Amino acid sequence: MQVFVDGNGGRRVAAGAVSLSVACGLIVFAAVVAGTLLGAW
Amino acid sequence: MRRAPRLHWVSILLGLVVLMGVVSFHAYTAIRPEPVRHAGEHRQLPENTLALAFHGGPDPKWTPRVLDVLKETGIRATFFVTGTQVTRNPEVTRRIAEEGHRIGIDGFRAEGDHVTGLNRALAQAALADVLGAHTPLVGAPAEVDSGDRDHQDIGTLVRMSLRERGGVVRLHDDGSIGADIARELTRQPGYRFVAVTDEPLVTASGTERFTGAVTAWSQRNGGVVLVLFGTAIAIAALLGLLRTAMQLGLAHTDRRLRRESEADPPPWFAPPVSVVVPAYNEALNIAATVRSIAANDHLADVEVVVVDDGSTDGTADRAEELGLPGVTVLRQDNQGKPAALNAGISRARHDVLVLLDGDTIFEPDTIGQLVQPFADSAVGAVSGNAKVGNRKGLLGRWQHLEYCAGSNLDRQILHALRCIPTVPGAVGAFRRAAITDAGGVSDQTLAEDTDLTMAVTRAGWRVAYRPQAKAWTEAPSSLRGLFRQRYRWSYGTFQSMWKHRRALVESGPMGRFGLLYLLAFHLLLPLLAPVMDLYVLYGFLVADAPLAFVVWTAFLLLQTASAGYALRLDGESLKPLWAYPLQQLVYRQLTYAVVIQSVITAAHGTQLRWMKVRRTGLLGSAPGCGVPGSPAVVLEE
Repeated sequence: MQVFVDGNGGRRVAAGAVSLSVACGLIVFAAVVAGTLLGAW
Repeated sequence: MRRAPRLHWVSILLGLVVLMGVVSFHAYTAIRPEPVRHAGEHRQLPENTLALAFHGGPDPKWTPRVLDVLKETGIRATFFVTGTQVTRNPEVTRRIAEEGHRIGIDGFRAEGDHVTGLNRALAQAALADVLGAHTPLVGAPAEVDSGDRDHQDIGTLVRMSLRERGGVVRLHDDGSIGADIARELTRQPGYRFVAVTDEPLVTASGTERFTGAVTAWSQRNGGVVLVLFGTAIAIAALLGLLRTAMQLGLAHTDRRLRRESEADPPPWFAPPVSVVVPAYNEALNIAATVRSIAANDHLADVEVVVVDDGSTDGTADRAEELGLPGVTVLRQDNQGKPAALNAGISRARHDVLVLLDGDTIFEPDTIGQLVQPFADSAVGAVSGNAKVGNRKGLLGRWQHLEYCAGSNLDRQILHALRCIPTVPGAVGAFRRAAITDAGGVSDQTLAEDTDLTMAVTRAGWRVAYRPQAKAWTEAPSSLRGLFRQRYRWSYGTFQSMWKHRRALVESGPMGRFGLLYLLAFHLLLPLLAPVMDLYVLYGFLVADAPLAFVVWTAFLLLQTASAGYALRLDGESLKPLWAYPLQQLVYRQLTYAVVIQSVITAAHGTQLRWMKVRRTGLLGSAPGCGVPGSPAVVLEE
């Protein structure tokens, strides 16, 4: 098996979940801040 | 194989935008524009009624003194605050509100800085963060100026304040005199005191408060983010300078020693050689490759073993059709390049093995040059000098420059340190015993050449570099192809580094220098370097543009000079150097992206397959490549 490759898929799922959470969090964060400021503008 | 992870790019791009927003906002709040007074609406107050309106605060020292005076006299006043001051002095702002005074907005950074809606929104956000509310009162109404910015004498100031016997009196709470005037005015007989407005603050929504918290955090901590940026840039700049210094020093020394040895050359070494060519769907390239090998001028026997790794395009047939003597073609089911190499190595008769890819063109003396270092029995592997053949377009020139200024110069440095980590698949030679000691060609990484070279070094063999052994390889002709190739290289290198991590605690040069070199310059530097680009962008857009330009130009000139030196060392023309500055705009960012993608892929544990690069087959026009039968047509993958 190749180096780094996740045999049972656990790491892939965990990393994917972290990646998804971070991306979603940032999207929501950016949308709220930009939306509020633009709305007030 | 699963698709390579991609979602992180959303996070990275958004994260960069957010970081840029934070530092830019921090810089914006540090600017204090000249106050501008706007003539607000006239507020009708009954005669002998005063509304005290304080501006310029809240101030951590003077506003509490004003509040003390107002508390003593039981008077409610109105404070026109600026947003940045509210964020700087949240406790004072809260006290203003708690003691029943009215709060209005004077601007975001200074009085009058509320003309644009964004500044108004930012000021309201600052209030929302501190008070959980925003104010309906934006901008002061028409006021009677107390003259406290121009005069010091209390008597004069009181007279000026009362000259209309009522109205909104303009005062300031960001200096010592504000509290004194307020005290004197409250002592004047016959006056009643009111607030500018009776409208209360309006409770802010959750998103307003959140936005306020974010902007306040940015204002307070943007400096810390800048310091972190600066630290990353300093490390990146130091690494860059260190690498340049090593390039100039070690590569020069290496070249000088080489010249000295050339002045008194050892006897020409001419062992019999087996050339192993693994090929997968290289039908359009394989003939030129094999012909170029067959046209060698090596002084001993050269056997060629082409291993067709389950090609579907007739690669093996094309090689057999050539009917060249000494060429053996092996066919096997598709098992990957390492398996093809191992099959070819077991079939090969000789102990010196030259390994090359199916799309590489050798010069007639390449094999002879490549095997010279084997005269030293401690040498287990030799790297040749891979050169870009198709260097006509901008992308080709960039890669040519990178091969010379990056890979080859690196190789000279690492040769001087005796820890070359990669004998490239395009042109390399191994002693059979070294490969055996390394346990054969492993399929545990996508960079089997790096993996094998590290294993050979760890087994105690020396790896040499022979720049005279030139091989022309075809570089990707599209950005997509380049990304895929570099992604595989980078990911494979990281796999090899991880696989051979124990070298760090071993006594050989691979751990002492090789792995640390790769770690510093092939992992850390590319990860930190984007921050430098971001900082330059920040410098151009937000901070000191001329300074940013000077710093950027200085680094660029240094790098260009270093690249020019590398070209000179490699005996190449300096003409392509004009394309080097353009590299900074697309190519460099692509190399960072490759490293980031590789690190993320490693973290995800995704299984990658070999990513084949689309060919153009323009090697026939490569400089120094006069091999008959080189492909002259555009080839497709």
